[in-house]
Amino acid sequence: MDMLGRILMVEDDPRDVELTLTALGEYNLTNEVVVTRDGKEALDYLYCRGNFTGRTSENPAVLLLDLKLPKVDGLEVLQQIKSDEKLKMIPVVVLTSSREERDMVASYKLGVNAYVVKPVDFHEFVNAIKELGVFWAIINEPPPGSVRKK
Amino acid sequence: MAEQKPSLLKDLPLIQRYGLAIVSVALALGSALPLERYDFRGVEFPLFLFAIALTVWYAGPGPGILAVVLSSLCFNFYFTEPLHSFYVSRSEIPYYIVFVLFGALLAWFSAVRRSVERQLLQSRNELQKEVAERTQQASLLNLTHDTIFVRDMRDVITYWNRGAQELYGWAAEEAIGKHSHQLLQTAFPIPIDEVQAELLRTDRWEGELQKTKADGSRVAVASRWSLRRDDQGRAAAILETNNDISDRKRREEEIRQLNDELGKRTTDLEASNKELEAFAYSVSHDLRAPVRHMAGYTELLQKHASSILDEKSNRYILTILESAKRMGTLIDDLLAFSRIGRVEARSTTVSLDQLVKEVLGEVQPEIDGRNIAWKIGALPDLYGDRSMLRLALVNFISNAVKFTRTRPQAVIEVGCLEKNKDGAVVFIKDNGVGFDMKYANKLFGVFQRLHPTEAFEGTGIGLATVQRIIHRHGGRVWAEGLEDRGATFFFSIPGHRR
Repeated sequence: MDMLGRILMVEDDPRDVELTLTALGEYNLTNEVVVTRDGKEALDYLYCRGNFTGRTSENPAVLLLDLKLPKVDGLEVLQQIKSDEKLKMIPVVVLTSSREERDMVASYKLGVNAYVVKPVDFHEFVNAIKELGVFWAIINEPPPGSVRKK
Repeated sequence: MAEQKPSLLKDLPLIQRYGLAIVSVALALGSALPLERYDFRGVEFPLFLFAIALTVWYAGPGPGILAVVLSSLCFNFYFTEPLHSFYVSRSEIPYYIVFVLFGALLAWFSAVRRSVERQLLQSRNELQKEVAERTQQASLLNLTHDTIFVRDMRDVITYWNRGAQELYGWAAEEAIGKHSHQLLQTAFPIPIDEVQAELLRTDRWEGELQKTKADGSRVAVASRWSLRRDDQGRAAAILETNNDISDRKRREEEIRQLNDELGKRTTDLEASNKELEAFAYSVSHDLRAPVRHMAGYTELLQKHASSILDEKSNRYILTILESAKRMGTLIDDLLAFSRIGRVEARSTTVSLDQLVKEVLGEVQPEIDGRNIAWKIGALPDLYGDRSMLRLALVNFISNAVKFTRTRPQAVIEVGCLEKNKDGAVVFIKDNGVGFDMKYANKLFGVFQRLHPTEAFEGTGIGLATVQRIIHRHGGRVWAEGLEDRGATFFFSIPGHRR
């Protein structure tokens, strides 16, 4: 697993992982992605602990966060990140199936940087992922302490 | 009966009272003189005393003195030597003095006795008056339907009115003399000592008591006690009035039970609402994902294999994609529909004018390349949930845009009818394909469609959502249409510009 990803994706569904990576692949962004499968693993990555003890301590340029996750759910991860001085600057994009207003409100209250509902239509989905990847990993200037473009 | 023996003193005029003195002395003299003739000696003295006594008795002290003077003179003139002269010999002076003193004494006794008798009479009259008054009051108390009884400080019943008899079933003669709490088996809500203490401190007490009727049935009463004190301020008696509140209690109990039931139902409803919400939440998260995957992987398949697949296979793939997309739309629409019932409405004043402009912006992609004449009239402010009303308008307007698609020149009108009792009536009118009024009742049902999907796409949830929104605002929604001649949708929201 590439330990130096600019995009940290937190997604439990392997099909969504594959589809997302396929979409990002069209812009050759696949190698920039680190995939974690639940909230706990994502936090382990961010805090360089567990399986990620050895990685360099730079933050990802963007975090793509699903909400419905095993163990620690997306909102809890978001809360943890936004209440930690070292992590709160990481741009977080919620990428979820749910259009539920309460999820949206809760996410924005916790300080999420963007909220994207995964479109059912694959073209739209690919476009959304591409734009997200391009914007956050390439166009956006990440905060200091983030992984820079190689 | 009252004033049976009126005082002569008061009844007789002055002249008659003094006349009585003269007449009685004259009568005494008139009787004494003939008797003396027949040698009855010494009769004149008691006769004059009698006349004086009579005068004082009936005419008072003034005429009494006159009688004494007149008697003295007559006595001197007719009965002492020298006769027929007012000369008084020295030796007779003590005799006169004794006579006058005796007369005066008699008059005084008589006057004193008289005044005592008059006082007695007066108090008796007053007493009779009071008795009459009290009897009348008691009979008035008897007239009332309210339960009233009096008990002494040992709780022995001393008065029992008709209302008490009616309520408790005991006649006055049965109740009077009995211990009231024992007779009625009074149950106190608080210790009786506290009741007594409050009664003695404030002279009154009121509360709800349980008592027992003669037939053994229990009765709830609102009871008021008033303490009567005697002249010395000592507690003397307690007047208790009772009102039967059994009916009220029963109704209160019924209401309480109904409230409990309502509370339980509300809890049940809240629980099922929560379940529904959890269900919708789960649908929102979990149902969309497989649909997305179906669409995604089919698309990938198409990309990888379209060149080696025949036309038929490619068409199948397209159909799968379309169905997946339609499924996604259905889920989204259903979730939007169920959200109307689940989320709390946040009511504010909403400018319909502004809202229509926003909605026109939203449906712009559908309008592009179309020839539509918009007629937007003056629109009112509505009072309601902005996002819900917006959703309703989006549905109305995109429907109008959709169903005028076949028209070379579409005309869509949004306006407001005159205000009526329902508030403002807003309408959205188009010159599209319209509908048969026969099916008007199906327009607003979930999954009800009046046109084939090939002609006009849609899930059949839009107008159901609209109806739910309008109903949540307490309003009405209805439609008029003619096949191939256009449709007009109306809705009213009460209490606009509140």
